[in-house]
Amino acid sequence: MATTETQLMLSVGLIEKDVNGDTLWVWCYPSVGDELREVLLSKCCLTHDGRDFHTFVFGQFSRTWYYITTMEVQEPTALNKVTHFSVVVTAKDFNPEKYAALSRILCRMYVKHGSPVKMMEAYITVLTKGICQSDENGSFLIKDYDVRKAYLAGSVKDVVSQFGMETIILYTALMLKKRIVVHHPRIEALLEFTRVLPALVWHRKDWSILHPYVHLSDAELEDLKKCPGYIAGFVNPEVSNRMDLFDVFVNLPDSTITVSQSAKEAMAMGKLHKDIGQLIVQSAEDAEKSDSQVIKDISVKTKEILANLVALADECEDSKITLEGLKQRHFPPATENFLFHLAAAEQLLRI
Amino acid sequence: MEEVDKILIHALKQVGTEVPEEINSVKQFSSELIVEAVVRCIRVIDPGLSSTLATSLPPGMSARFRVGMSLAQACQDIGYKGELGYQTFLYSSEPEIRSLLMFLVEKLPRESAETSDQPTGKSVVLERTIAAAIKAHLAVPWLPPKCRLPLNCETQRQGVMHSFHVQPLSLTNCTKGSSKRHTKEVKDYQRDVLSPVTAQISSQASVVASILEQHTAEISAAQEWDNEWNNQGLLSRFTPQEYCLRKFTRLHKRIEDQLRSAALPSSHSAFGVSRSTSDLCELLQAFKGSVQPGHILTKGTHFTHTQKFNFTQELPPVAKTIPTNHQSEGDVQLGQQEELAYLQQQFQQLCSEVDHLAADMKHMSVTSAQVLDELKQRELRNSEKEEKIQVKKKTIDLLPDADNNLLKLQALVEASAKRVVNLASQWEKHRAPLVDEYRRLKDICSSKDVESSKKLSEIKSLHEKIRVSTEEAKKKEDAYKQLVTELENLPQDASRSAYTQRILEIVSNIKKQKEEITKILSDTKELQKEINNLTGKLDRTFAVTDELVFKDAKKDETVRKSYKYLAALHENCNQLIQTIEDTGTILREIRDLEEQIETENGNKTVANLERILEDYKAIRQENASLAAKVREG
Repeated sequence: MATTETQLMLSVGLIEKDVNGDTLWVWCYPSVGDELREVLLSKCCLTHDGRDFHTFVFGQFSRTWYYITTMEVQEPTALNKVTHFSVVVTAKDFNPEKYAALSRILCRMYVKHGSPVKMMEAYITVLTKGICQSDENGSFLIKDYDVRKAYLAGSVKDVVSQFGMETIILYTALMLKKRIVVHHPRIEALLEFTRVLPALVWHRKDWSILHPYVHLSDAELEDLKKCPGYIAGFVNPEVSNRMDLFDVFVNLPDSTITVSQSAKEAMAMGKLHKDIGQLIVQSAEDAEKSDSQVIKDISVKTKEILANLVALADECEDSKITLEGLKQRHFPPATENFLFHLAAAEQLLRI
Repeated sequence: MEEVDKILIHALKQVGTEVPEEINSVKQFSSELIVEAVVRCIRVIDPGLSSTLATSLPPGMSARFRVGMSLAQACQDIGYKGELGYQTFLYSSEPEIRSLLMFLVEKLPRESAETSDQPTGKSVVLERTIAAAIKAHLAVPWLPPKCRLPLNCETQRQGVMHSFHVQPLSLTNCTKGSSKRHTKEVKDYQRDVLSPVTAQISSQASVVASILEQHTAEISAAQEWDNEWNNQGLLSRFTPQEYCLRKFTRLHKRIEDQLRSAALPSSHSAFGVSRSTSDLCELLQAFKGSVQPGHILTKGTHFTHTQKFNFTQELPPVAKTIPTNHQSEGDVQLGQQEELAYLQQQFQQLCSEVDHLAADMKHMSVTSAQVLDELKQRELRNSEKEEKIQVKKKTIDLLPDADNNLLKLQALVEASAKRVVNLASQWEKHRAPLVDEYRRLKDICSSKDVESSKKLSEIKSLHEKIRVSTEEAKKKEDAYKQLVTELENLPQDASRSAYTQRILEIVSNIKKQKEEITKILSDTKELQKEINNLTGKLDRTFAVTDELVFKDAKKDETVRKSYKYLAALHENCNQLIQTIEDTGTILREIRDLEEQIETENGNKTVANLERILEDYKAIRQENASLAAKVREG
């Protein structure tokens, strides 16, 4: 599958900050559209008046994943008048480790040679062959970086230890394809936290709902609104005022989760949720279990619920659930509500 | 001496002494004049002391004597250190009188200089005249209306005051338009049709108010513009028009944003986080009224409808309280109950309909979400599949000759890779110098920025300096004018410059004299030293010769004779020297005695003695008459 994998890489770009304090987009291959370029410049920490320096940042915009590695130029170097630069790699897939490694190699090449041509050569070799010589006595192989590893790289245990029983709110929101907004003033913490959330709904393995680094700009919010359900990470604390953007708001520094008024009705939780929550907490607190085992436990429970739902659907005509059908089961109201919305999310509801 | 006397006479005139015009010096003062002058001075210096003193000398001698004594006492109380007695006033001598008058004149309190701290200038003079006029008006006592003089009627009437009412005016030379050329039509209008300012106002009383208001508004607008331009406008480096345009667009945009955010009812969060209020927001909020204190709804869900229905359900019961008509109690009650039942039934129906609709809407929203989701997913899958199909199609085309094509493909890929890299390096050759050029120019630009901002600040400081210096120049000119007028108003007698010149001349004279005196003194010292030297030499020489000759004189006759002659010579020379010294001493005594004679002559002692003898005779007569009176009765 090397070919399909290499087709995942879309472009590579270079942003430089020079001694005049200007940040310029100086080079790219093959090409980057204007809108994406704007977004990438805003994500790059070099445009932020030099306040914070983030070595590696990634995010998603318009179904394109971007990975930005920033480096400071140390003397001696072939680059004069450049103080810092960032290498941006855009791709279709979510794999931060792979692209971090790749862009590190590209950065070092650029610093050594002072010209992006060498960098581009390396990029093309990766693109065509899936392998590239790195100057650290080794080579970069694409197949070393499996996407499953990327999915499992985050730590669910940390999430559960931070929020405890409230993790069930996140689980419910993800199951019902709701909009979750996470806020943390530090981007690294934000990235680390949000990347693991889609693992709670492992049966979907859909990381395209993840937008870990969003700014409150019109273009990005427009793009965000195109997704019915998402996990969006914001560094800007003003996002808590944007009630139109979220159903669930997670304030990471304060460790609070708030459900917005409009979603309260759909997110009502009952005994079923309590059970699931307890399961999650117990599983995470078990010191002997690894993160992937916790995820597996959760996904087992999820599959159970879904199997029940499918069974219910099978009993109705054309395998679709209706509200009346659910009501006949006399579930407790919260469970009934949850199942109804879950059916819609899993496309089992009759239209 | 004349100048001193002139100053004294001038000062005495100011105190109030009537000095006749022909008297120019203290020498010519009579006793009466002296007494009057001294008494007046004492009165000014110390009013308490002079309560018992009269300005004129009484006729009686003993009274005069007493007056003289008391005057002397008073002068000594004031602090005069010299010798004083009745004789100073009754039998005066010029030097004594001069020194006494000088002492008294110096003791006179000086006029307090008017503090000139207030800013000078025409406006201050005007203000002072206004203040003086108002003070004068206030000082006028209030009289009943009928008793008032016509002069005071105007200011003491009540009907003079008007309220401050302003109307907008249309003036021909507005500040904004003066820089532009007026079109011909505007000029014609202003010339032919526009009525004068005084006619534009409906009521006469508002003319002044309206004009003041218009001018103040224009002046303050011009000042604000100047202020803003000097502070921000120059920095922004636009022309005035551009700057105004930008400001206008900026403000326009802000208002738009505020209006937009205020129109959204959901812009105020329930979480109580700080929101950005502004005057416009509050204003719009006031327009809307307090509509949603605690109900925050993002979209118009079915909850708004239920709310509305909750409110409306109160209306039907309210409508029930219709004022009763004249039917009987029972009929009325029955009718009401029927109505009530009917309405309740209707209400139930509506409620159930609402519930149905609510449920339907909920269902619809959920299903629409599901459908949209499905649609999106299918679209994505479609596009992915399309891409895959493209690749697979091409692969299938190449499949028949798989190995060859594989090799060809690989070669093609490598060739394209090389070509791309080649192109990239060519592009790099073009790109790198361009980027460098850009950076270089940016550098130059920023350094120019620094320079230009420095120059701007210099210009600003220069402006400031110009302003400050013009103000100072104006102030100084005003001060100068005021001082010139004051100077012209001052009395012209006793000019200071003559006195100061004389004083300076005297000082230089004294300096010269001092130099000469020192010279003479040094000459005298030299001479004295010489004399001492010579006398010493002489003595020694005589002693030596004396011995020599005396030794030989015992043996020889001629030597004895010469010794006798030597002694006689020495004796006679000594006598000569002595006579010369005596002559010198006597000459000095003569000079001293001459000086004394002069001073005594000035004392007019003879005239005084005669007067004293006469007065003595007069006192004896008075004593005799008084003794006779006592003896008689």
